[in-house]
Amino acid sequence: MRHAFRERLMLAAALVLTTVYLFPLYWMYITTLKSGSAIFASPPAFWPTDPQWQIYGHVWQSRNMGRYILNSLVIASGAVAIVSVLGVGCAYVLARYRNIWVDAGLFLVLMLQVLPASLMITPIFVGFSQVGLLHYPRLAVIIAIAAKGMPFFIVLVRATFMSIPRELEEAALVDGDSRSGAFFRIALPLARKGILVSGMLIFMQAFGEFVYSRSMIQRVELQPASVGLYSFMAPNANEWNSIMAYAAIYMTPLLAAFVLLQRGIVSGLTSGALK
Amino acid sequence: MKGRWSSIVDGKGFDIALVALPLTFLLTLSGLPLIYNVLMSLQQVDLFSLGTFWRPFVGFKNYSELFAQQETWPILANTAIFVAASIVGQFLIGFGLALMFSTNFPGASWLRGLFLVSWVMPGLVVGAIWSWILSGDFGVLNFLLRESGLINGNIFWRSDPNYSLLAVIIANIWLGISFNMILLSVGLSAIPADLYEAAELDGANAWQRFWTITLPMMRSSIGAVIALGIILTLQQFDLFAAITSGGPNDSSNVAQYWAWELSFRQYDFAKGATISVIMIVFVMLAAFVYVRSTRHEIRG
Repeated sequence: MRHAFRERLMLAAALVLTTVYLFPLYWMYITTLKSGSAIFASPPAFWPTDPQWQIYGHVWQSRNMGRYILNSLVIASGAVAIVSVLGVGCAYVLARYRNIWVDAGLFLVLMLQVLPASLMITPIFVGFSQVGLLHYPRLAVIIAIAAKGMPFFIVLVRATFMSIPRELEEAALVDGDSRSGAFFRIALPLARKGILVSGMLIFMQAFGEFVYSRSMIQRVELQPASVGLYSFMAPNANEWNSIMAYAAIYMTPLLAAFVLLQRGIVSGLTSGALK
Repeated sequence: MKGRWSSIVDGKGFDIALVALPLTFLLTLSGLPLIYNVLMSLQQVDLFSLGTFWRPFVGFKNYSELFAQQETWPILANTAIFVAASIVGQFLIGFGLALMFSTNFPGASWLRGLFLVSWVMPGLVVGAIWSWILSGDFGVLNFLLRESGLINGNIFWRSDPNYSLLAVIIANIWLGISFNMILLSVGLSAIPADLYEAAELDGANAWQRFWTITLPMMRSSIGAVIALGIILTLQQFDLFAAITSGGPNDSSNVAQYWAWELSFRQYDFAKGATISVIMIVFVMLAAFVYVRSTRHEIRG
């Protein structure tokens, strides 16, 4: 009896704290539904009395969001493609061997994972401009993001490979399969869920990336949605309902993907960071 | 030739090929810029010499000039405050939440999952939302603080030099709670339950159990989380760009934002590289602690 009461008390406290935590998200969505004058009302309305749904279509059109989102998709897909093609094999090898070279490789990967983008952009920008890569700014951003995200991907996918017993591959080798055959036919299919979740995480990060895009893409037609949002937020911006609508359109697909993949993301993140 | 090919298909060559390609990619695109960064910090770089590698070598002139600038020390102090305050806030709130969720009431794991939502949000979106919440005249935070009687007049979070850094810290704490909470939860769940049962039989109360079991058992998790927090806080750029742009008058500027400003607003790439080099040393130190505190699990 006492136990049940305590559990209910904890649940109530957790619900309150979760509500407080999620309030900024709620406030974003609520603000989008207010009119241009209602957002400046005092006291502010915590529930929209006169929801302005048309603002989404309006912002989408007037800010040319289709183009921005498309650029974000191109950049994120490109980065994920590079990261997964190169990263999976590396993660596999780092999971299967244990010697000084693997330790050194892993240490290198972990150290490269932590370099802040805003500090690395200076040498990357100058270097890329010297080799002429800045003539293809989206490609340049894709490559830079891939280099930034790959260590994290390798760490996550390596954890997945570690959980697959190597006896399965050895059995395939005994049955006459080649080394590469065992990798492609046994290990890779078994790890696909972990690879998929890690790829999604890289995709989401790349979809929201800002520093590299802001610094390397000058032409508006090629800029992603994060840069579009930045230029929308001029220092004295006051159309907060439109800005919040932009933000909502930008992140709602990510939110949906997060809700669908929540279990996988939680276990992927925790296994990568600490295990 | 045939021998090499068959080694790639069916032998050690296959593994070496798998690992060599990505490591080359990483070394070219992260390792090389790292070295180039150090080189540029020792050179005189301007828009005319941008296209060549052989620029005039100036030794440590960039460094000495940088530390002669009057804004350098305040910005470095801001960076320290930003990191320390963010870590303390994120860690305490995250640890509290992790302890709460570890009691495993019905719905705990589901609610805990909701806290991860900030992880998938683009940094600029988080910055935009907090800019609006922290807005001076019409921000909802000022309204809530006024209603609860904590303040009398509005605080201009983003444009008052006394509060601008705090504004970014608040947003960054909100952003960092999730990973602190989830990683500490993992650490908590690894503590064997019979330790607590034994302590309870011996008559230890909740407070004593926390200090004698939870904290000592969590030592390596806590070390990893704090080191990772320092790394992530030093990576924070988007919130500064969205909320204060480092202003007003550098009152909320931090090293990682300033480095970018020097390079891309003032086109002083040498100074930008110099700040980068200094900060990367700090990040690497934190990374070293992080890798060490998770090392036994990396090997295992």
